[in-house]
Amino acid sequence: MDDRGDATGHEDTDIEPGKNWQMAVLATILAAAIFALDTFSPVDMAIAVLYVVVVLLAANYVERRGLLAISGLCVGLTLASFFIIHGDSFDLGSVMRCAVSIAAITVTTLLSLRNQDATDSLKEQAALLDLTHDAIFVRDTEDVIRYWSQGAQELYGWTRAEAVGRNAADLLKTAFPHALATIRRELLQTGRWEGELTHTRKDGSRVTVMSRWSLQRDERGRPAATMETNSDLTERRRAEDALHQTRTQLTHVTRITTLGELTASIAHEINQPLAAVVTNGAACLRWLDRPEPDIGEAKASVERMISNGRRASDVVARLRALARRSEPQHTPLDVNEVVEEMLQLLERELAQHRIALELAFDRHVPAVAGDRVQLQQVLINLSLNAMQAMDAVPPRGRRLGIVTRAEQDEEGRAVVIEVRDRGPGIAPENLPKLFNAFYSTKQDGMGMGLSISRSIIEAHGGRIAAAPNETGGMTFAVRLPVPEDEPT
Amino acid sequence: MSPLPMISIIDDDESVRVATESLVRSLGLAARTFASAEDFLKSSLVEETACVITDVQMPGMSGVELQSVLRARGADTPLIFITAFPEERVRRQADAGGAIGFLAKPFDGSAMIECIDRALTARGAAPRP
Repeated sequence: MDDRGDATGHEDTDIEPGKNWQMAVLATILAAAIFALDTFSPVDMAIAVLYVVVVLLAANYVERRGLLAISGLCVGLTLASFFIIHGDSFDLGSVMRCAVSIAAITVTTLLSLRNQDATDSLKEQAALLDLTHDAIFVRDTEDVIRYWSQGAQELYGWTRAEAVGRNAADLLKTAFPHALATIRRELLQTGRWEGELTHTRKDGSRVTVMSRWSLQRDERGRPAATMETNSDLTERRRAEDALHQTRTQLTHVTRITTLGELTASIAHEINQPLAAVVTNGAACLRWLDRPEPDIGEAKASVERMISNGRRASDVVARLRALARRSEPQHTPLDVNEVVEEMLQLLERELAQHRIALELAFDRHVPAVAGDRVQLQQVLINLSLNAMQAMDAVPPRGRRLGIVTRAEQDEEGRAVVIEVRDRGPGIAPENLPKLFNAFYSTKQDGMGMGLSISRSIIEAHGGRIAAAPNETGGMTFAVRLPVPEDEPT
Repeated sequence: MSPLPMISIIDDDESVRVATESLVRSLGLAARTFASAEDFLKSSLVEETACVITDVQMPGMSGVELQSVLRARGADTPLIFITAFPEERVRRQADAGGAIGFLAKPFDGSAMIECIDRALTARGAAPRP
């Protein structure tokens, strides 16, 4: 049984050498006791069957070769006892008892070997899981952590020993993006779920992860466990936010620059003929004011004034044609769809400003004729204004309300879209100026948003109006006419 | 030298050039027009010119560059600048070069006449008739 000593050289670091040595002594004593009992006790039983205990004990601590040697030794001891007792006269009963014992030892050895193989391959796989930087853990159906990878330990701070056996959601204080029931349903239906979760680390800090869940089922198809693979998004998120902000600022700068460049080029194109008109006018007066008025020169000056005036108006006409090239495409639109699409674009801003949505859509509003992109620009503008207005109130009170409804009045049928905020509102004396160009209540506002919005809505034959809410905040209402031929 | 003080007008825009020329002639002065500063410098009229009226932004040499070239050649010809982009930076450059005037287009006829009078007085040329 000295083979047992091999176990200390086993690669498996989970087993402490001290404990290994104790087990070797215990197994040896046990084997000796069984041998003594088998050989010298008068009891007529297959005591040698008890060697399976020695084999099972050893199976946990020695590898394949050692286990084979030990079980061979046990078989040898069984045979030795048999020959010592029944050396000269053996009956069928004792031979059978001996055979049963040997069979039991053999079968136990084979099963143990198989179990060892399976365990080894599992350990290898678990070691592989430890290689990835992602945090991986396995939860059973009761949400109790059964496995906890090295990556999980690094991300969350709890060691395997601390985490295994704990309830996952309790330990990590998981914040789910949707109702847990919805997530569970998807997991059961499709076998997987993917989404962003917020967890709390051992040190109390929060971490946002991209979480992928896979449902493991037992052989009968019942859910057995969930493997959760989480990768840290906090860093990536921070980078994305910075990028987003930079892009927004860039867009703003580009818009101002474009406006500036456009203004400069229009100014130049119109200024030249205007300068010529004014100078020709001055020259004309001079020619007439001379002691002998030079009618010919004066006439030529006036003719140039006329042609220069024409040239200036040509520039304006060219500008108009240029603007017409990007004239909106009017198609029948479902305003609810328009609003929904617009809200998708605003998802990030809503989350950033921590704003809750309150939607009240009339699903039966008639279609309006309009340019989808332009209307969305208006609604985005109104919504962004509303969000910024609510920065001043505590997050709990930040609610963006969007209402759609059909309306019928003396002007005909219309669809109304309302954007409501719960911000501090706008002083009554400022309301009339609200839609003027270059008027802004915001410190860094350009004062173009509402002015452009009004132009767009008026080009749609509609109206845009602002009114304070009774409960505080503002409501901006966009009223779009329903075409005559639209069925009710 | 011609009996009348001669004003050279440089502008890449023909309509402004022609209108300014007419204004100058209506004052009883002689005028020549050029579409670029380079054309003016190549001409034989640089020496005879009593005053230059020039646009600032032009393809090729700008009005301010023309001023530098003239000063480098030792010519103290007075210059009046006209521009559709009255930028303070350019105005300071022009002033530093001893510009008589810096007028934004469209410029006022009487402001231009005042500038021309000052230029001719400074040059010691015969005042306009």
